[in-house]
Amino acid sequence: MKTLLKLTTAVSAFVLSANMALAGPEVVSGPGADPECFAPWSETTKFFKWDAKPAPYRIAVVNGFVGNTWRIQMIKTAKAYAEDPSIKDKIKEFKVVSTGTDAPAQLGAIEDFINQGYDAIITIAVSPEGFDRVIRLADKNNVVIVPFDNVLDTDKVMQVNEDQLAMGRAYSTHVLKELAAIGKTSGKVLEVRGLAGNSVDRDRSIGINEVLDESGGNWERVSVVGNWDDGTAQKVVADAIAVHGEFDAVLAQGGTTGVVQALLDAEHPMIPVSGEAENGFRKLMAENSDKGLKGISIGQSPGLVAISMKAAISALEGNVMPQLISVPLPMATYDELEDGKNYWSDLPDNFFTVNEFPPCGVNISGPAIMSQSEEDVK
Amino acid sequence: MRMVSVKRGVSQNLGFAIAVLLLLALYLTYNMMHPRGFSSAVAIQNSNETVAIAFVAMAQTLPVLLGGLDLSVGAVMTLTNCVASEFLHGSPAQILLGMGLTLLTGTLFGLMNGCIVVYGRIQPIIATLATGAIAIGLALLIRPEPGGNVDGDLGWALTNSVWDFADTYGLAQGGDAWWLRPFADIPVPFLLVVFVAIVVWVPFRRSVTGRTVYAIGSAEGAAYMSGLPINRAKIAAFTLGGFLAACGGLYLAIQTSSGNADIQQAGAYTLNSIAAVVLGGTSLLGGTGGAIGSLVGAMILRVISFYFRILDIDPLLQPLIEGLVLLAAVSFGAFRTLRVKNQLDLFR
Repeated sequence: MKTLLKLTTAVSAFVLSANMALAGPEVVSGPGADPECFAPWSETTKFFKWDAKPAPYRIAVVNGFVGNTWRIQMIKTAKAYAEDPSIKDKIKEFKVVSTGTDAPAQLGAIEDFINQGYDAIITIAVSPEGFDRVIRLADKNNVVIVPFDNVLDTDKVMQVNEDQLAMGRAYSTHVLKELAAIGKTSGKVLEVRGLAGNSVDRDRSIGINEVLDESGGNWERVSVVGNWDDGTAQKVVADAIAVHGEFDAVLAQGGTTGVVQALLDAEHPMIPVSGEAENGFRKLMAENSDKGLKGISIGQSPGLVAISMKAAISALEGNVMPQLISVPLPMATYDELEDGKNYWSDLPDNFFTVNEFPPCGVNISGPAIMSQSEEDVK
Repeated sequence: MRMVSVKRGVSQNLGFAIAVLLLLALYLTYNMMHPRGFSSAVAIQNSNETVAIAFVAMAQTLPVLLGGLDLSVGAVMTLTNCVASEFLHGSPAQILLGMGLTLLTGTLFGLMNGCIVVYGRIQPIIATLATGAIAIGLALLIRPEPGGNVDGDLGWALTNSVWDFADTYGLAQGGDAWWLRPFADIPVPFLLVVFVAIVVWVPFRRSVTGRTVYAIGSAEGAAYMSGLPINRAKIAAFTLGGFLAACGGLYLAIQTSSGNADIQQAGAYTLNSIAAVVLGGTSLLGGTGGAIGSLVGAMILRVISFYFRILDIDPLLQPLIEGLVLLAAVSFGAFRTLRVKNQLDLFR
């Protein structure tokens, strides 16, 4: 009896493991499809291939927290992109839910969509851990899960993000270039950091400081915490100017409209400023660039959701995809700004300007997103 | 004769009866509209999502029955979640020990709450606001970053059907024993909640201490004059609340195989637990209701959000609609206030 028990256990364990091994994406060698758009994160990034499924597909977006401009714009972008002629015919059903900062609810929503037979689920994870069970279920049912923005600490799913370290480096590189152009190779710079304890803040700051170190110049650095928020950033920058006097440049990573506003209020001379992609920052930069506000604007785009959707569809079509996709940084320098093209003087300051990714064929303009009404979700 | 007692039972627990009817109506409709409704997979998913909030709602019930509120239940769940994420791995004995430690942490925290309320003579709502912050602080200390090490088999076994449980651990001939067949499709998380409710809540309610909790909620002065053990009942209520919140935290760790000291999540669970308690027919003034009602209330809360996944509702309108449905559901319970001839009847 006991041997029988053991035998059945062994057999069923074997059957189960065989089942598991067959399911999910196959790890293959690169290069992947459309490398211009779906660039692998690094040389060591794995490549995945799912079995091709016939279109059209059912796709769901499971958002967590909702309630700031970025998230709302992300949801509107997702809806606008689902209507885009290039992919409209490939989508049979499209649904967006927000679960709040509640891990069981988000996991439950993902599992529910797997049960309902959805083909792909795009998500911003509320926690970098804890998705083992839904990943196992998704693999079993051949569902593609694509976390983006807040990605997971796993290499078992396909994920989409921007390289935050590279963004930090680009901020510094541009500012140093502008300073060199006016003959400054050392001086005093102000760094405005983001939300403490967040990996995005950490990586951007490392990038910023790496480039300053590598430049060999003698940079006196003052660091303040602006929480990526216009109000907070404006206050701490005003304080910094009051305490430290004039700066040669500001390296902000968010809340940049507030940063520039503080400079203007203090009648601080216009200096090179790096910052996020807020519409307000770009408006001020366009107005003041000839006075010396020779800045750069790079941002984490709400349009990442569109690239994640495109990546999910590409995976469902059976294309080879990188496990971790690095989306090109959408950047605009002061001399590239053009009203109605990469900033909008008639849209609010807290609108995020970067939505377009030409290499990916994602071309949803700001006004197109803002005109998305609340009713037409289908 | 039987009819009469049933009728009386319903009329004395009107809030609970309405909650059960509402849950049945909502859940049956949901299953009919779901492409795979009435299947084991849907039931497993639904119960997994509900367990944590169900336990936290049951935990909240006890202080509410006393006429107070416990603002630390979500934080205690988060703390125990982080504790569990440190201990739930290794040999079966180690895992069991880890579970014990987790539940003990929550229970001791509840005991501390009770002692502060009774001996410190501080209002429960203020005392637990402070201790809730302490719990979150400890959770952040244990787990500054999300993560942890929870046994994978345990996670899989406890978040699936009875068959998967037996299959994972090679019990009952790998889940194929004839006597297991009738139960094979039942979700394990559902059984866990029912088990705790029957083994912990029902005996407590029937004990002198449990009845004292109700008595304190309806009239503390009268309970005192009747010689009931007031202090003991208050401390017991908070301690049991801590234990139930720890059950929620333990399950959360098993479900997510990790711990996460998420402050916002803790706050959301505390608020939702109060909503679930009210939905389940427990009066915020204390003295009437029960943990089983809160269990039903928590399920209603969850089922409302299930609908967003099968209906086409604008994502930005969903929170508004959820709030309106919730308000309507809570108002159902308040209908009796419109029917009474004499306002004093309400206090019976």
